[in-house]
Amino acid sequence: MIRTASVLAVFGVLSLASVLPASAQRVQWPREDPPPPLLAPDVKFPDYELRRLDNGLQVVYVGAHEQPAVNVRLLVRAGTSSDPTVKPGLAAMTAQLLDQGTTMRGAQEIAQTIDSIGGAMAVGAGTDLSYVNVLVLKDSFDLALDMLSDVARNPAYAQTEVDRQRQQVLSEMQVSYDDPAYVSSIVFGRLVYGAHPYGMPQNGTPQSLMRITRNDLIEFHRNHYLPNNAILAVVGDVSAEEAFAGVARALSDWPRGVLPTPDLTEQPPPSNRLVIVDKPGAVQTAVRVGHLALPRAHPDYLALDMAVKILGGEGGNRLGSVLRTDRSLTYSASAEMAGRQFAGDFMAQTDTRSSATAEVLRLTVDEISRMQRERVSRRELRRAKDYLAGHFPLTIETPNAIAAQVLEAILFGLDLDDLERYPERINAVTEDDIQRVAREYLKPGLLSMVLVGDASTFVNDLSGVGFDSYELVPITELDLSTADFMIAREVAQRVRQ
Amino acid sequence: MTPRSRRAPVVAVIALLAVAVVALAPTVYSAVRPPKFDYRITKLENGLTVVLSEDHSTPIVHVALWYRVGSKNERPGRTGFAHLFEHLMFKGSKNVPPEEHLSFISGVGGDGNAYTTEDTTVFLQTVPSQYLPLVFWLEADRMATLRIDQRTLDAERDVVKEERRWRYENEPFGLLSELLYDRAFTAHPYKHTPIGSMADLEAASIEDVREFFDTYYVPENATLIVVGDFETDNALQMVEHYFGRVPKAKRPVPREIPREPPRESEQRVTLEADNWPLPAVVIAHHITYDGHPDAYPLHIASKVLSDGQSSRIYRRLVYDEQLAVAAFGQGNIIEDPNLFYAVAIIPPGKTPSEAEAALIEELDKLKNEPITDEELQRSKNQFARDYVIGRFTNSQKAAHLAHAAVIHDDISTADGEFDIFMNVTKEDVRRVARTYFNDENRLVMTILPRGSSAGLSGAR
Repeated sequence: MIRTASVLAVFGVLSLASVLPASAQRVQWPREDPPPPLLAPDVKFPDYELRRLDNGLQVVYVGAHEQPAVNVRLLVRAGTSSDPTVKPGLAAMTAQLLDQGTTMRGAQEIAQTIDSIGGAMAVGAGTDLSYVNVLVLKDSFDLALDMLSDVARNPAYAQTEVDRQRQQVLSEMQVSYDDPAYVSSIVFGRLVYGAHPYGMPQNGTPQSLMRITRNDLIEFHRNHYLPNNAILAVVGDVSAEEAFAGVARALSDWPRGVLPTPDLTEQPPPSNRLVIVDKPGAVQTAVRVGHLALPRAHPDYLALDMAVKILGGEGGNRLGSVLRTDRSLTYSASAEMAGRQFAGDFMAQTDTRSSATAEVLRLTVDEISRMQRERVSRRELRRAKDYLAGHFPLTIETPNAIAAQVLEAILFGLDLDDLERYPERINAVTEDDIQRVAREYLKPGLLSMVLVGDASTFVNDLSGVGFDSYELVPITELDLSTADFMIAREVAQRVRQ
Repeated sequence: MTPRSRRAPVVAVIALLAVAVVALAPTVYSAVRPPKFDYRITKLENGLTVVLSEDHSTPIVHVALWYRVGSKNERPGRTGFAHLFEHLMFKGSKNVPPEEHLSFISGVGGDGNAYTTEDTTVFLQTVPSQYLPLVFWLEADRMATLRIDQRTLDAERDVVKEERRWRYENEPFGLLSELLYDRAFTAHPYKHTPIGSMADLEAASIEDVREFFDTYYVPENATLIVVGDFETDNALQMVEHYFGRVPKAKRPVPREIPREPPRESEQRVTLEADNWPLPAVVIAHHITYDGHPDAYPLHIASKVLSDGQSSRIYRRLVYDEQLAVAAFGQGNIIEDPNLFYAVAIIPPGKTPSEAEAALIEELDKLKNEPITDEELQRSKNQFARDYVIGRFTNSQKAAHLAHAAVIHDDISTADGEFDIFMNVTKEDVRRVARTYFNDENRLVMTILPRGSSAGLSGAR
């Protein structure tokens, strides 16, 4: 959607001259420029409070008093990145079972209690965190804290619940493994992160789920769910004093423990690899392209993130211009960074009709290459900065959005003062900065590329656009735990030169 | 909408929440009442309805423009046209070059989007509050002077085809709505879904574009909702300035829609579908329209069946008997009478007929015995929660105001529905169940993965 100045001007004039009004009626309408803005109000990052209990639990409070609701969110600093290599899915299952029974309450009582007050509870795990989130109307704040404390500290992991949860996830996987979007993202993750737990699906694999025992869950919980390894946020319609007093009452007797040392497995260096997962009959191909990038707290993250946004994000999006606007090859094309604690990646993604797969892969790789090779124009960078800096007030609309930014900063060890300085930090980035990080971190010759679609419709086109070698995996034989992604080792890897 | 996040497993999205059973916790009436909206509603001389609601908590403003036209206004052979037209609204007008509408918005840090439903086409933008005049200028410019040529139409048609493939054809279970509605309706255009068919998208002509624009994209068919950081008097002056000059329509907006005849006997269908990883059962009943007195007890019924881990369908089919990977029952309660449908996705080792029997039993139970006091109160508390958490952002508030003003044609329902819900009784729920959940009004649809042998299914 973004073009250079001269192209835009020419394009605009030509197209206006050549089109007719959609309306048959003649409308008297002035030719005019967009109106100037009104006086800009001051924007500040809203107030929040931070405290720490004696047992090490960090507590964040964000008040908001328009709507009579309170959200209580517990983040534990352990996610799927803490999964043992042979048991991916352990962190996720540990979290998913938190509300399925505690030593105090059965699964049914927990559900009944939450539902009857019109509350909602969510549990789960991400790559670097696990969470319990309880939302209630304000008159149930104390009950929310009690429930959160109970499920976070006392999960029972009853064998029947473990078996039920495992069966549920296995059935869901049967659906997910038929979904090109899901399959492409897990294969991409494995290519980029290799044997590191970041490289495995967060819910694990059908094989790994079978290996997880009740004792594994209890042990993971005991090692990681500790107050000195957690952050709690209270967000909404209670006062700061009510919030901190309530948290102290419910959680100050949670004993601290010894933190496990993080697994610092190295990610593999990027290598050029194209994996095709063959799904006969698919009408579209999911295209995912990228490689290892930066952990969230890296000093170059902001600049590289901006480069990737110019490639495929809001306020920029060359991929959208090339693939959708200019050629109608897709409904959506984008690129984004995933910044994690120990590593990160960037990934371009789009989905296109099967027959256009090779062309779209070529165009996508070419845009990554151009981003790395050519300096961005002052105007293009200006647009990206205008969006990101201007967007700041939209990111602080709700108390939960405010809390999410504070929690992210604490979790990844970012400077909390940067929340307030976001617009100025954006505006300080120069074309030189973008060029430096693009040259240093983008590696268009070392891309992980994944195509999930009907291979018969496009494999013969690949060499014509410069992709001479690829690996082909039938979707029914997909196995993330093997080097070649195939269940059966003896199935020959088909590499064409 | 643009897909940005890496996708969660499909079933996780289909399944509403997780698990549980009967219990002992006392049910409490929540004393909490949400605040009422503060708004002004007015109509310009050209017929444009304008709703303004100030909220100064953040220096941003949300502008929504609702056109009362959706897929139910499409004629046979032109399905998908309302949605295709939504895309064309970004292709330029007298003062705005093609594709530049969203560039103007993102250039000031704002977000813009649009969507099409069976009943409406909605254009949205949120911007820092000082850019409110820019949004009015952009929306008025395309309402008055949209420009489309054949090349643009062809190009955007291809984009919409990719959208159809991406959202529906290539996604597991993506064609569920299309299969269901095609069989559930015979005359009313709810028979087709907003995305339309590939063949009809192909048939759309530039004359269709012109006629559609002149018929439906007129001020009297539009409602402008502004929520956020502005002064009402100032904003109204700006609205008058930018939208007041859009000419009034030359003819009234057509409103005739074919009616769906009542059902006379149960309909049963078994079919196979592509991209269908596990068998599914759907039990659908025709119900009433949004705003009808029966609509509120039907909402309560769907909460009893499906909201939370202690709800009936979840507890029985997913947790206790594990007949389904995901299961729910809910009303699609919209402008014209639509459907209440229950769905179960069947895991390996179980059969669609077991799930079908369980779902029908749960629906029958609503007819045969009253829900418990505890269930009624839980549902109301859950409704109050939804009400409160559905009003956090300016865009959420605008959606409620617009829905009341456009679909109910009565903006007071944006607040008034709270008390209507709080006054629903157990007998109301039983009454609507008896009215609608009847055998002769039932469609039972079993959808199997392509290649399964009919009748066997399930255990593979």
